[in-house]
Amino acid sequence: MNSIIKYAQCSSLSQWSPVFASQFHTSSALSRVVSGKYRITKKRDRPLTYEMANPPHFIAHRKSWNSWNTSSLKDGLRRSETAVEDEFIRRFLNGTWHGLVCSEVIIKRQFNHIRVAAIVRRAVSPTKMYFLIGYTEELLSNWIQCPVTLELQTVDSYKDVVFKYI
Amino acid sequence: MNAIKLLWRSTPSRSILFNYNTTRLASAATITPIQRIEPPPSTIKLDKLYKRVELEMRGIDPAVLLSYSWFCIAAATHLGIDVTKSWALRKAEKERHTLLRCVHIYKKHRVQYEVRSYFRFIHLQRLTGSTCDTYLEYIERNLPEGCALKVTKIECQTIPDHIKPPVDEK
Repeated sequence: MNSIIKYAQCSSLSQWSPVFASQFHTSSALSRVVSGKYRITKKRDRPLTYEMANPPHFIAHRKSWNSWNTSSLKDGLRRSETAVEDEFIRRFLNGTWHGLVCSEVIIKRQFNHIRVAAIVRRAVSPTKMYFLIGYTEELLSNWIQCPVTLELQTVDSYKDVVFKYI
Repeated sequence: MNAIKLLWRSTPSRSILFNYNTTRLASAATITPIQRIEPPPSTIKLDKLYKRVELEMRGIDPAVLLSYSWFCIAAATHLGIDVTKSWALRKAEKERHTLLRCVHIYKKHRVQYEVRSYFRFIHLQRLTGSTCDTYLEYIERNLPEGCALKVTKIECQTIPDHIKPPVDEK
């Protein structure tokens, strides 16, 4: 039995007969990576953005990071504080622009200056958008005690951001 | 008028001034006022001279570091600074952590994370203090996010007065 299993695994038998491929699943349920991966739906109508479509092992190959700072480098300072601040900024932005942010929030730090970038959909009037931009910048810079600039890009609807349907 | 005459008579190197005045009169119609040439006072600080300035760049992404080094070299060539060396280490310095994959038990199944720091070096030669300050100000203002810069300046100084060369006693 063992010799048959080994032969089937090393040959390309799994390509011809899908039955064999499901039986000779190499990794056990324990040592499998499930984070950052989305399951296929039967109707194939689940929308994924480019970031969602590429699982985490593609970081630095097809994807890049969401927060850019020097805290993770050798002799970098304020690692934990920077991470906590980034998480706070992300939650604040998702809450203030509730249902309007269509992408991941990207946070870039240059010395003291924090630049927050995101793609936002145009469901709200421009007057309200300007108010929200000023409100976010003021409150964030007051809490973090650093100058915060918002760099938003607007999009008509969520469909413009979708990469593929799964 | 008397003050000007006094100044004219009390100059130390009048012959040079006289020559200067005659050439000026030959070329231009107006007579420029005579200015006394004074030696620079000892309190003026002379510009520092740097033998070598070493830039060490650390970053997360090697592509960003390469682009930034192109920018630095272009700025240096525009300012007339000679760039002797620009190189990168072949591999990054990696900090690895091996953690347990599961919250409870399963010691044999682990997860490995690593954090990389890429390095890039540029050596500049023979700068003056003001050039160096201007160049570094420009470079540092345009440092990209996720990159760190370390500057080492090697200065040339004159030997101070309290250090004297050894005197041969014969």
